[in-house]
Amino acid sequence: MALTITGLSKTYPNGVKALKNLSLTIGNNMFGLLGPNGAGKSTLMRTVATLQDPDSGSIHLDGLDVLRQKIEVRKLLGYLPQEFGVYPKMSAADMLDHLAVMKGITSAKERKEMVDALLQQTNLWEARKKALSTYSGGMKQRYGIAQALLANPRLIIVDEPTAGLDPTERNRFLNLLSSIGRDVTVILSTHIVDDVRELCSKMAIIASGEVLLEGAPTQALESLKGKIWSRVVASDDELRALESQMSVISTHLVGGQHEIRVYADANPGEGFHEVDSDLEDVYFLNLSGQSQN
Amino acid sequence: MNLFWEFFKFELKFRCKSLSTYVYFLMWFTFSFLSVASENFGPIGYNNGKVLLNGPFAIATYDWFATLFGLIVIAAIFGTSILRDFQRDTYQILFTKPISKFAYLGGRWAGSFVTTVFAFSGLIFGTFLGTFAPWADHLRIGPNHPWWYLQPFLSIVVVQIFFLGSLFFAVAALSRKIFVVYLQGVALFMLYIIGITVFSATRSLERFWSGIFDPVGLLLFDDITRYWTVAEKNVLSLSWSPHVVAGVFLYNRLLWLSVGFISLAAVWMLFPMSVEALTARSQGRRAAKAKQQEDFEARPKRSLVAAQLPKVHQVFGPATTWAQFWSLSRMRISTILHEISFWAITGLLLAFAINNGYFAGRVAEQNVWPVTYLMVQAVEGTATLFFYIVATLYAAELVWRERDVHADGIHDSLPMPEMVDWLSKLAAIAVVELILLTVTMLCGVFMQTLAGYYRYEFLQYFKELYIVTFPQVMTFALLALFVQTVVSNKFVGHAIALGIFIINPILFNFGWENTLYLFGFIPPYIYSDLNGYGHFVPALFWSITYWLAIAAFLGVLSIALTRRGSDDGWRARLRLASARFSRLTPAAIVFMLIAVGSGAWYYYNAHVLNEYLTAKQRRGIQADYERNYKKYENLPQPKVTAVDALVDIEPARRSFSGTGTLTLQNKNASLISEIHITNPRQSVSAVKFDRPFHQVSCGVRDIYCIYALEQPLAPGESTLLTFHVGHTTHGFKDGNEPPEFAYNGTFFDADFFPHVGYNQGMELDDPRRRREEKLGPLEEMAPRGDATQSLYNLFSKDSDWISYHTIVSTSSDQIAIAPGYLKRSWEQDGRRYFEYDMAPTHIANFYSYLSARYDLRREQYKGTNLEVYYTPGHEFDVADMLEASKGGLDYYQANFSPYQFAQYRIMEFPRYRNFAQSFPNTIPYSEGIGFISRLQKKTDIDFTYFVTAHELGHQWWGHQLIGGNVQGSNMMSETLAEYSALMVMEKKYGKDQMHRFLRHEVDSYLRGRGGEVRHEPPLVLVQREPYVWYNKGGLVMYTLADYIGEDKVNLALHNFLMKYRYANAGNSLSEPYPDTREFVAALREQTPPELQYLITDGFESIVLYDNKALSAVVTPTADHKYKVTLTVQARKMKADGNGNESPMSLNDYIDVGVFIGKKDEEKPLSLKKERFTREQQTFEIVVDEMPTRAGIDPYNKLVDRISDDNTIDVTKQ
Repeated sequence: MALTITGLSKTYPNGVKALKNLSLTIGNNMFGLLGPNGAGKSTLMRTVATLQDPDSGSIHLDGLDVLRQKIEVRKLLGYLPQEFGVYPKMSAADMLDHLAVMKGITSAKERKEMVDALLQQTNLWEARKKALSTYSGGMKQRYGIAQALLANPRLIIVDEPTAGLDPTERNRFLNLLSSIGRDVTVILSTHIVDDVRELCSKMAIIASGEVLLEGAPTQALESLKGKIWSRVVASDDELRALESQMSVISTHLVGGQHEIRVYADANPGEGFHEVDSDLEDVYFLNLSGQSQN
Repeated sequence: MNLFWEFFKFELKFRCKSLSTYVYFLMWFTFSFLSVASENFGPIGYNNGKVLLNGPFAIATYDWFATLFGLIVIAAIFGTSILRDFQRDTYQILFTKPISKFAYLGGRWAGSFVTTVFAFSGLIFGTFLGTFAPWADHLRIGPNHPWWYLQPFLSIVVVQIFFLGSLFFAVAALSRKIFVVYLQGVALFMLYIIGITVFSATRSLERFWSGIFDPVGLLLFDDITRYWTVAEKNVLSLSWSPHVVAGVFLYNRLLWLSVGFISLAAVWMLFPMSVEALTARSQGRRAAKAKQQEDFEARPKRSLVAAQLPKVHQVFGPATTWAQFWSLSRMRISTILHEISFWAITGLLLAFAINNGYFAGRVAEQNVWPVTYLMVQAVEGTATLFFYIVATLYAAELVWRERDVHADGIHDSLPMPEMVDWLSKLAAIAVVELILLTVTMLCGVFMQTLAGYYRYEFLQYFKELYIVTFPQVMTFALLALFVQTVVSNKFVGHAIALGIFIINPILFNFGWENTLYLFGFIPPYIYSDLNGYGHFVPALFWSITYWLAIAAFLGVLSIALTRRGSDDGWRARLRLASARFSRLTPAAIVFMLIAVGSGAWYYYNAHVLNEYLTAKQRRGIQADYERNYKKYENLPQPKVTAVDALVDIEPARRSFSGTGTLTLQNKNASLISEIHITNPRQSVSAVKFDRPFHQVSCGVRDIYCIYALEQPLAPGESTLLTFHVGHTTHGFKDGNEPPEFAYNGTFFDADFFPHVGYNQGMELDDPRRRREEKLGPLEEMAPRGDATQSLYNLFSKDSDWISYHTIVSTSSDQIAIAPGYLKRSWEQDGRRYFEYDMAPTHIANFYSYLSARYDLRREQYKGTNLEVYYTPGHEFDVADMLEASKGGLDYYQANFSPYQFAQYRIMEFPRYRNFAQSFPNTIPYSEGIGFISRLQKKTDIDFTYFVTAHELGHQWWGHQLIGGNVQGSNMMSETLAEYSALMVMEKKYGKDQMHRFLRHEVDSYLRGRGGEVRHEPPLVLVQREPYVWYNKGGLVMYTLADYIGEDKVNLALHNFLMKYRYANAGNSLSEPYPDTREFVAALREQTPPELQYLITDGFESIVLYDNKALSAVVTPTADHKYKVTLTVQARKMKADGNGNESPMSLNDYIDVGVFIGKKDEEKPLSLKKERFTREQQTFEIVVDEMPTRAGIDPYNKLVDRISDDNTIDVTKQ
């Protein structure tokens, strides 16, 4: 399975250009889509999930024209929207069974096997008879992934799945995602860099509707090796002075002190020491690059 | 205080910015504007009358109406003001600040109060501006008095807003649930309606406490104004004085104002001003939920290195589509069934149906068996509104549900066609409606069982609920689904659906009556036990099909326009729609074809096969008739002296045809060369005379034709007129089906036969409609003694007495009946023939034809053949009718004169018309007012008995004695028949029971004069006022008999009857008919001098009393008796025709009595007529037993507006 996105553009009626001639190729793997809020990630995800049409461009999933053969795509699709609600008073088991019917699993036996397996794997078995509306955020998110995996989907789209989850929940969730079979195209959109680092073999960074970087996280990290420097700054004035001299990628609070990270081919100055580059540096570097452009 | 102002200002500012405030204002503005500016709208305008549209009564009516229907508005404004903080979770911020309870609650409350008063002030502006509308009826608009606007606004609207608003505010503040806020308005409204039904079903005349405790005011308003005459309605406001109508209004206002204050006090004391207390409950629930989750989370976790998921197979095809539909529908239905709101609605429906079902057997004045059509009507009737509300609400919920709960992302990307999803929504609504309909049916069956009636007609329940109502409701549901699909906001959708729902009746009133363009409209229909749904079926079927097909077409459009995905823009939706539409085209075409086909068929029937006339066009025909031919009204014409007709009724075709011969005699002193024929029903053709003649002219629709005889008819000479007569039913009409023709239950009268000369009965009599047609006021009847009109018979101007012979045939399964003795009956060519001949008796020119499948009960009674023809299953009243006939025959023959016929027959006809009518020895009696009555208590008024006796009375008063065509004559028919029936009732029930009946007569009379559209005449000058000739007449005659003696009155009647009956029988020249002058003279002859005033007051004037017991004290006497000291008040007023009153001096005899026993069940210990010359008099009455009640005119023999205060409890000293 390979998803080819070519020249996608979308402008909303209010004038916001959500996608600008965006092209991407996504293969049979876990693909991470990184970008800040408002970058166009959700627009792209919804477009691939057949929920809206672009103004121009095309999307192909192997032989399928995603924009025209929506119903065919929907048969292969597992979709977890960024935000989703549930019907009040429906239990997880009933709802999953219902969705399984909707996804064309006509055999009651298969349906039951699948629903039970998913409930087990998402650790919702004990709570399967509780109303979905009583679920906590993490449980709901796990239910969300369960429903996305119902019919052995070959295209899975998960939009910002880890937002608002506590670390344990997030871990559990990522574990689950990672266990999906190999021959499936998974697109994971997030603004949390660690999600991509932990899960994805390929990634793209998008901002303002454009692709800033496309490639493997390892490759991107490689290219920054030895070029990230860090030091602690004491005051805002000091930080401002540094910002004017060099390209500061990010600042972090570490134990109440501001630690800045700087991109430079060589040691940029006194007090800096070389640190291991991480994906976040890639991300911020690309974003700051884009904003300068 | 500062903070108070802050909250107050904030609330006002918020409301100023909110669109709803202006919508409410505009709503009341439009309502009151139209109420004044259009006579086709509103509670006052639509009732014809002389009540000023901007008078105090009208404005008060608008105000009550607005506050009743505004309950929900008041609940919405006051309720949400406090709830806003809880819905938006701002309370956490608010209540951690140092604000006082007074500032918070007071500010919010005051802001809501001012807003609501503003919204309702639309009533003032609307009414005021309405008076300036150039097209309005300015005869009914008086000068604007500010007080007429302000007084009711302050004492009704502001008080209602204060009381209801405070109550709703308190409930909202203390419950803090949005559900409760919206439900309380609806619930109060429904409970009130139920309460009103219960109260009116008891037929109580108790009006004091019921008025005071009425929170909404309908009963209260009726209590105060029910007897107001037009003059009073145009000047009186609801008085704040404690002395007017016993201060009911004042006490009511004070009571409910204090309820408002108590609510405010309650909220002030009970509202907790701390976040902790406010959220205590939800915290508890939240904590429980968290705990529950922790339990799950705390379990040992197994390894999450996931195993492979099982492999499943996806199959897509028709079976899957069906499975998807089924699963979606099941989910949607189960969601609805799990909601409290559904059960609340079902609960309300149950309460409604059970309550109304309980009263299904109480129709107007009598108790009847709850036959299925009555039960269906009762349980379904008002509940239909529920079905429509449910359709509207759930259509919106279902269209928006995925979006409302944010489940649209997952839902919309499922591999299903839009149609499956949409159909599942439709199915969910259908199932919910079917559940409600079934609940309704079960309530009906249950209530029938409870009432001891076990003839459940399930098929009729089924037809009415599932075949007639269900498709209509679904039509509306489809419309609501469409509207919700198109609009971008649920509430806008609700507003549009509501608008479509209420626009239909409004358009209809304004003359847009065509079923084919009033959405979802069907022509009116009436179920009858004789005729079933009968001839209404095709029109119902095709109109329902037509609208359902149109709605289904909208449904197809809705599928195409379904929102799917995240792009809500119209461009995107239209692009998707056009893509989807190709697959939907076949369905769209099919529905379109069905709509066009059924619409065309309907149109062909209603507009091509039949002439389509709106109510206004029909009035136009009447007006044209009057304009064109009134000039011939007094042209000398011959009179009919014999009728011979051959009539063939074809019930299955709802048609008849026939030929006839009228013998016309010139009873004038001059020659007649032109004969004028009115043809009111377009049923007469081929008019010929037995001498050379030619047709001079014929009006449109042959409504009035003039024939010239080559040789004029000399005085005393006769000619024969032959004619064809018939009515053919073609297809069906758009409503207005003539009620005369039915598959089973044909009943038509001489109206279908040629009428000689101008027929005054065809004139428009509604003053409003006459003004609309620019006709000027209806001509008053001629005064008594008028030289021309006295020569005419009151009932048929074109004849005096006729001989009558007819042969009537009908289908082989039916019996056909006309006046006369059955001479012969035979079968020929599969039809049944009946020959009736009235000889030797001459009758009034008043005959009818009936045909139906009848059961017959026959009895011989002292030489009279009594017969009751009834539909099988309606045997309940037959024995009673026979008893009443016997009682009447005995009394009338003993006291008035011998019965002129040898038979008396009653026959049932369908309830398309609700009356019984006295033809010579033949009484068509509607199934709507008899045949199913049921007497449960001994004290129940036996209405069937009364009506039967009344109609029998007409065989004397109307068929022996007929007055001239002048003022007052009708009282000699109706009043005397009413009196006759009252006396027969008294023989059956005894004197003590009569006062209950009399109180209802007084009540009907006083209400009747309140609705008078012209002017009220005294009894002996009555023209067209049924409340005078029935209710006042009956009472006055009964009272006279009580005062001067029954035998004296009957003697007067006997003398009068014997002298004047059969006036003009056999004369070659017409002579004057008697009028009420002779009648009054006959009464005065038997009345002692000191009671002559009774005749002057009761018959010749309009006199009202205000009698009242002031105090009654009892003291034991030395000889173990009881002395009652009773002080009473008597007042007497004379009223003019408009209701303006002037005091009269007293010199009257009035009953003064002392009673034992409970109120309403008292027995007299002493009852004497005392002479009153002063307004207040005290009596000392000694009785043997300890009395309980005492008073003046205790049996309500005199017309008194407050009959309740005539007696009071006796107190011990």
